[in-house]
Amino acid sequence: MLSNPLGLFALLGIPAVLAIHFLQRKAIELPTSTLFLLERTQRETIRGRRLDRLIPSIPLWMQILAVLLLTWILVEPRYPKSQSVQRIAVVVDSSASMSVFKNDAINRFAAELPDLQGPASAIELTVLESAPNRPRIYAGSSVDAFRAAFEKWQPRDGVLDPSESLRLARSLVSREGIVVFLTDTPRSTLPFESRLLSVGEPIENVGITGISFAYEQGTIVWRASVKNYGTQPADRTWSLQTATGSTEMRPIHLEPGSLITLQSAFPADSTQLRIVLSGDRFPLDDTFPFVKPQPKPLAIFASRTPALTDLQQKLLRSLDSTGSTTDPAAADLTLLSQNPSIPLGSTGNALVFLADDEKSTPYLRGAIVAEAHPLVDDLNWQSLLVRESQEIPRQPSDQVLLWQEKRPLIFLRETAATKSRPQARQLFFNFDFTRSNLGNQPAFIVLLHRFAETVRAAKIAPTSENLETGQPLRLASTPGQPIEISQTDPAGKILATAEIPSFENFHAPLNPGFLTAAQNGQTLLTAAVHFADTREADFSGCGTANDLAVSNQSLTRTHTRPDPLWQIWVFLLIAALLIAWKFSSPKSSPLITDH
Amino acid sequence: MEISALQSAHHHALAAAGRFRLPLRSRVWRGQAGEFTGGGTGSSMDFQDHRSYSPGDDPRHINWQAFARTGSYTMKLFREEVRPVIDLILDVSESMFVDPIKANRTAELFYFIVATCQSSGASVALHAVRGDAWETLDPALIPSHQWLKKSRTLPAADPSKPPDLSRLPLRANAIRIFLSDLLFSADPQPILRHLGQRHGTVILFSPFLESEARPVWSGNYEFIDPEKNTRHPHRIEPSTLRRYHEAYDHHFALWKQAAVQSQTALARIPAEPDLITTLYQNALPVGALESL
Repeated sequence: MLSNPLGLFALLGIPAVLAIHFLQRKAIELPTSTLFLLERTQRETIRGRRLDRLIPSIPLWMQILAVLLLTWILVEPRYPKSQSVQRIAVVVDSSASMSVFKNDAINRFAAELPDLQGPASAIELTVLESAPNRPRIYAGSSVDAFRAAFEKWQPRDGVLDPSESLRLARSLVSREGIVVFLTDTPRSTLPFESRLLSVGEPIENVGITGISFAYEQGTIVWRASVKNYGTQPADRTWSLQTATGSTEMRPIHLEPGSLITLQSAFPADSTQLRIVLSGDRFPLDDTFPFVKPQPKPLAIFASRTPALTDLQQKLLRSLDSTGSTTDPAAADLTLLSQNPSIPLGSTGNALVFLADDEKSTPYLRGAIVAEAHPLVDDLNWQSLLVRESQEIPRQPSDQVLLWQEKRPLIFLRETAATKSRPQARQLFFNFDFTRSNLGNQPAFIVLLHRFAETVRAAKIAPTSENLETGQPLRLASTPGQPIEISQTDPAGKILATAEIPSFENFHAPLNPGFLTAAQNGQTLLTAAVHFADTREADFSGCGTANDLAVSNQSLTRTHTRPDPLWQIWVFLLIAALLIAWKFSSPKSSPLITDH
Repeated sequence: MEISALQSAHHHALAAAGRFRLPLRSRVWRGQAGEFTGGGTGSSMDFQDHRSYSPGDDPRHINWQAFARTGSYTMKLFREEVRPVIDLILDVSESMFVDPIKANRTAELFYFIVATCQSSGASVALHAVRGDAWETLDPALIPSHQWLKKSRTLPAADPSKPPDLSRLPLRANAIRIFLSDLLFSADPQPILRHLGQRHGTVILFSPFLESEARPVWSGNYEFIDPEKNTRHPHRIEPSTLRRYHEAYDHHFALWKQAAVQSQTALARIPAEPDLITTLYQNALPVGALESL
């Protein structure tokens, strides 16, 4: 092992020494009056020879020996230590675009492995995904096993920052190990002394970017956008497929960078559809499964006061999948007015407004301050005008969301679930909203929507959603009851079924397809999962780069030991030089020395 | 070369001139009156012969005692005393001065020859040759050591060519001393034949470096031609060096052979030993010099 290969340049000294001996040994200039005799005797000497015959001599051999010894010293030879192990951690870019270059990545990295191993007698390979908190793809020392594991792995994530995984990889291999980031998109810098191996290339791609739904004339209309990410015009065909059939393939033409929209009414007899584009090298965005979106229904009950009835109507108009009910027990959300002198009875989720008959009280003064809470974050209440009134008695556990001076204007009460009733939340408006401008406040509308959606989210009921791959999913379910998850591919083939205790930390699958979740025989979720990170569909930034060749002197020193005989080589070098000098002292010639 | 180096060479040459002389007495001279016995009759004190008077003879040399005895005019003939005539030809090509040692030896030989000539009362003509260019040097330049500077500025069209001696005003009956390293590609016989024309006697002094004769080369060299200042890359291997040695030896063997054929004294003078020693070892045996 040569720790300083540049020292091999010293070998150029050998041709230099030979050239000194071969070439004109500094043609001696000599005035002579017998030139005519010389030219008369020999024709072949005229012009001389460029090359001198190599005459073996002690100085020649000593000089060559000195060059060899010097080269040997300069290259700093080191010998491998026995049982040294080179630890290599590979962080593989788990973004979906890597699926196109996975085979290239395997081959390129496998080809680089011998160089990465260097002088070590063995390697210890750990392969991680760039997405954090994923299991290792491979850990071991077998290149074949690494290949097999790598081939099984499927990159399905969106754009991710690999820093966390690189940090983990560095900690795994310590300072002496090598961390490689295997990706398809070159980066200028990588943290944690990581080396880059990029195997991508810009390719042409056309894909479905997303879908939207609209109610038109009583039916749901879907609109899907298709984009040409490439630099060349593209001609594709598309069709709409159901579990039972397919439409005809229809051609579409897309200019570079252009976007077109496909739309159709959602078939009445189908709940699961998929748009299929003719294939290209990146198939992940060529198939787009989707379902008819159906949020959980929300029943709203309002007290029989004009103001609340009007508010109920507004909510019904503005919130999806809502309906009114006259049965408070069946309501998911109740709109109440409360007289402060009368305690509020047991109720479920409710919006509670203060009922105060006092008419001519002054407006409250003082600054309006909102607490940090998801319901009121980023809402502007400064234009809210409320009058003095009685106050609804608060409980210690109530959480004030909005203050004016020391008076709580809005507070939240959460009631834990009991055996007889589920968890409930009440949002109290601690002023007479009929004598305020609350109804005109955008913040109020947003607050109502947020509260209504939290109520809807907490409701255990069937829902249909279009999810993105890997999307975190929080769905209300009955505690203590297992949930059956069934995953199918876009064509309806069951890929996996599983039981999970709850939706805590549940993510949508990484592969597009359909998903159902059921609990106690009741379907809680019908969903379509599609790949939605359009940044991954754009391959214009892909390219090749290789930083693996960066020499690492410390690694070499770690796995090798220095030449124990270097002092002897230095001594021999000096001896060779002295001998060469001794034997190469010029022989005197009167004619030469005088001129 | 610096003046100090020339002065040093001059001193060495004068010291050597006190030990050696040119072989002037080994031949019969003709020419102006001087210290050396001429080939003809002259006015020296040495009696040579008698002959009958001829009109026009100098009446001072009539042997009046013989006239008293015989009544006929008899002339006393005395040996002629003449001045030797020496033409010193100095090769001033770059190869003579390419190396400080060789340049010093060249200067020493030049000074030595001039000194011996002067000490013997010879008539010396100094010629500097460089390729196809030549120039007669004024002997007055010798004491001031300006001869080298003047001769080195000879404008040769092609300095790498062998020295062109054909245009030199060589005098008859002269000793022609050619001071050259002979390191040029040329047939030696025509050169020596030309130098020996008109009853000339030729002596060659050829300084050389041991590193030229037996170089220790190995590997790649970029030889610099000092004449043209051009660079020549060469690869020297043992076999190449061996062939070079053979070529060097063959080159001077040709010169020696030609010197023998033309009865020329060729003294190759190494540059590294001191002057007197090397002249004693290399010039005396070949007859290029005589010891005093």
